[in-house]
Amino acid sequence: MTSNIRTRRMAAVVAGASIFALTLSACSSSEGGNGTKESKDASGNVTLTVATFNQFGYTPELLKEYEAANPGIKVEQTVAAQSGDARTNLTTRLAAGGDGLADIEAIEVDWMPELSEIADSFEDLAGPDVEGRYLAWKEAQGTADGKLIGLGTDIGPEAICYRADLFEAAGLPSDRAAVAELLGGADATWEDYFAAGHTFVENSDAAWFDSSVAIMQAQIGQLEAAYEDPATGEPTDLAENTVVKGMYDTILTESADLSASLKMWEKDWEAGFQNNAFATMPCPPWMTASIAGNSEGVTGWDVADVFPGGGGNWGGAFLTVPSSGKNTEEAIKLATWLTAPEQQAKAFAEAGTFPSQIEAQELAEVKDATNEFFNNAPVGQIFAARANQISDVPPFKGVQYFNIQTIVMDALNRVDIDGADPAASWDEALSNFGSLGF
Amino acid sequence: MSSIPVIAQTAGKGAARSAARRRKIKLGGPDRRPGWVTYAILSVVLLISIYPLYYVIQLASSTNLAIVRNPIPALLPEGNLFTNFGRVFDSNIPLMKGFVNSVVVAVVQSFTVVIFSTLAGYSFAKLRFRGRGPLLVFVIATMAIPTQLGVVPLFIVMSEIGWSGKLIAVIVPGMVTAFGVFWMTQYLEGALPYELIEAARVDGASMIRTFWHVAMPAARPAAAMLALFTFIGSWTAFFWPFIILGSKNPTLPMVMQLLNSTYFTDFSLVMAGVLLSTLPLIAVFAFAGRQLVAGIMAGAVKG
Amino acid sequence: MAVLSPPKPSSDEGRIPRRVAFSQKRGKWDVKLSPYLYISPFFILFAITGLFPLLYTGYVSLFEWGLLKGKGDFVGLDNFTEVLNQPHFWKALRNTFSIFLLSAVPQVVMAITLAAILSANLRAKTFWRMGVLLPYVVAPVAVGLIFGKLFADESGLINAILTNIGIDPVRWHVDVLPSHFAIATMVNFRWTGYNTLIFLAAMQAIPRELYEAAIIDGAGRLRQFFSITIPQLRPTLIFIIITSTIGGLQIFDEPRMFNTTGDGGSSRQWMTLTMYLFDLGWGPQKSFGRASAVALLLFVIIVVIGMINFLVTTKIATSGPAKAKKPKSRNSTNRRTR
Repeated sequence: MTSNIRTRRMAAVVAGASIFALTLSACSSSEGGNGTKESKDASGNVTLTVATFNQFGYTPELLKEYEAANPGIKVEQTVAAQSGDARTNLTTRLAAGGDGLADIEAIEVDWMPELSEIADSFEDLAGPDVEGRYLAWKEAQGTADGKLIGLGTDIGPEAICYRADLFEAAGLPSDRAAVAELLGGADATWEDYFAAGHTFVENSDAAWFDSSVAIMQAQIGQLEAAYEDPATGEPTDLAENTVVKGMYDTILTESADLSASLKMWEKDWEAGFQNNAFATMPCPPWMTASIAGNSEGVTGWDVADVFPGGGGNWGGAFLTVPSSGKNTEEAIKLATWLTAPEQQAKAFAEAGTFPSQIEAQELAEVKDATNEFFNNAPVGQIFAARANQISDVPPFKGVQYFNIQTIVMDALNRVDIDGADPAASWDEALSNFGSLGF
Repeated sequence: MSSIPVIAQTAGKGAARSAARRRKIKLGGPDRRPGWVTYAILSVVLLISIYPLYYVIQLASSTNLAIVRNPIPALLPEGNLFTNFGRVFDSNIPLMKGFVNSVVVAVVQSFTVVIFSTLAGYSFAKLRFRGRGPLLVFVIATMAIPTQLGVVPLFIVMSEIGWSGKLIAVIVPGMVTAFGVFWMTQYLEGALPYELIEAARVDGASMIRTFWHVAMPAARPAAAMLALFTFIGSWTAFFWPFIILGSKNPTLPMVMQLLNSTYFTDFSLVMAGVLLSTLPLIAVFAFAGRQLVAGIMAGAVKG
Repeated sequence: MAVLSPPKPSSDEGRIPRRVAFSQKRGKWDVKLSPYLYISPFFILFAITGLFPLLYTGYVSLFEWGLLKGKGDFVGLDNFTEVLNQPHFWKALRNTFSIFLLSAVPQVVMAITLAAILSANLRAKTFWRMGVLLPYVVAPVAVGLIFGKLFADESGLINAILTNIGIDPVRWHVDVLPSHFAIATMVNFRWTGYNTLIFLAAMQAIPRELYEAAIIDGAGRLRQFFSITIPQLRPTLIFIIITSTIGGLQIFDEPRMFNTTGDGGSSRQWMTLTMYLFDLGWGPQKSFGRASAVALLLFVIIVVIGMINFLVTTKIATSGPAKAKKPKSRNSTNRRTR
């Protein structure tokens, strides 16, 4: 019978809790359910939400600064785990008519082609404040349908990050300038890079780079149009894409000796930083935060002002303002402020995201910035120099870019990580390409 | 009170059994007290079912550096548990929002499932109406239908009516379940004598009054268990909330997924988040684990 | 009562007969309609959130229908032929079945064994029962995170232990079967205890006389287990197989959390059908048409397997051992005996 009493008491608890929760849900459905709709509270305060992913360098202090300068505005940031999730989230919410979107949504450059098809869903951000403040190619990337839908935050000019200590142990030069020279200097080629790698691995237990995908990503980023015809936007048949196939073959041949065969962003890859698994990485500025985060307690990382095959850009983000928001005007103001030179400089100091504006790049706190973790490397200067090498015409990326890129990268991973046969893996990629149904 | 709680029934049956055993069988067989080997095997099983949770504590109380450097964690938890909890709260991940959302969804669904299932179960078990048999068969048959596969249209419809991204889109589809109806029907069939209902009706009570004052009290023990199962099911659900809610308005399983960030995953942080998200259910388990065991054993329950 | 009831106006007297008539009429409707009213929430909700979406899935699958672009042209069965021509579909089908078998079969064996052990006359019964059930309260997402780390190829505990005892580490996140094994382990971790308790309940419902007779015939404990316990458990077994088929073939959370990207591996070694459905609809392709086609195909697979199970069940119920009961009736029988 005691159990009878117990169940009865429990039923009472459950019932009580239910009523409590019903009240809660009644409140939350009017307030938490859709922040954009009823974000003005009784006192006329406006809450703006900013959705970012990974690390944008928007610290609570930075957001407080805006709140202080703009009474009546509250800024909240939500961070998605990874850009893939953020992308799914954004497109899913857009498909749902914008419900549940933040007032400001951060996007990555690779999502642009898809989003430009629905440019109507975004506010035009052009205005006197932002006119002419970006690098030309960055502004071109943020424009769709003649409308500026994305305000550039950072860019990803690639340099080479390397482990000076491992270089030294393998008898290679370890000083920044000498490493740049070793890798080919101003007109470094991928052959130079691989050749240095062979010398290195002969004298070291570590691999030369982390994964073949990172190298492929860099090389694809140096093509004017990797997978699609810029004139028509139609995908090139992957089976006839000799350029990409050539890169695929070369990189995988080299990877056999040079790659640490770790799948990027996975647990083993992160552990690789601690285990001295590899000595170099193609390294856009935002990657420095990731390297430093994963390498806690590891010393010896440095950055060399060099990149094989000329300049290259990897990633870089934009802030957009979805039209479904209820405070788009305030949101545009905030997005403009967040991407202004001073704030870009602060984000750079916080998360290593390199400014996309000339003016910000020339601010003393950017230009003279050094990164303690990377042996006090003058990262401001290095990345500014790397940014100068990037062509003014951004590589063409059509609607299918992301899909095809995924297929090709999977093919590389199958060989590099899983140990599959390169030819078989390419065949599988071709069949996957075929199933996209063009 | 006519209703005998399932637990009391189980205990009663067990007691009756052991009495029977004492009377009849003294030769061994399945009824003698097992030896230490049995306990040793059970201890190993127990260890396996507890270790993954202990592993969470080991990692959550460690540092990322230690985790990355050595795949084998220290045997005893280290001292960073509360530091890591603090870091979860300080991070940009909306843990508190996820917690509130999970509580709201789980509690509201438990409540509605119990009410609606008891209503339907009472009706099926004790009331006469045309089509009762076929309708009950239909309810049971729907348990075999994988409704999760209707996500695409459900998503389209929810977006159409503007519920996308809102908790209500998660709550409504789970407000009543075929399992709940079946479970309450089964229970009330045995636990609620017709005489009680008739007595109430003779006293002039309306149908709903009879339900409320006669059927509801009789249904309590099974209702409590149904509430428990529903609560656990809602708390741990991921697929549909993940699709419809979006990262701005997550439930706790989504928070865990958000914590598992890619650019730099701090595993002590992730596991601290996992622990924080799981603790409420462990508390429920500590409080009502007995009921859960009895509930599963009382009927073939599958969440 | 009289004290508490509100004073009635005296003019009420004259109306009494009419009120009775009204309340009688109302009462009749009450009796007639209430049963339908009470069961209506389930049927209405099921119609809206269960049945309609499933039917509508069939409609969507006939169109070119994009997440962002919305409904497009009618394409007939093109989505189905396209999906059936995608190697990923067949891979996902293979993975789903492989993971399902790797979880269902060992799980049933372990659950029966454990139930047999637990059915002994143990001290602290409830403690042991709660112990095996504990993993049930851990969310599948959490289980995925935990085991994803335990099974990490180079930085995971399990490979570290294997290396320490001189066994080659297993490539859990690379090779097909090991990855399926790891994911099946997550499922087994969460559900074995649960199923154990169901089997335990069924074992306790087996009439004692059967064992007594066997003991008199001189049957040992193993013999008793295989000749009495197992045959008597058959209906429960089939019930558990049916329910775990429905759940197991829709598996999503665990494989999705097995690695960080959630892509199912670089050659989609552990991508399941539901992950594939999600990827088609909300991933890069954003094709609701194709996602719906996969949903329908999976639906048909599950229903067909369910029907086979059902046929087997009824066959056993009619031609099997005389004492075997259908799972449905098992509950009521149990309750009656209690």
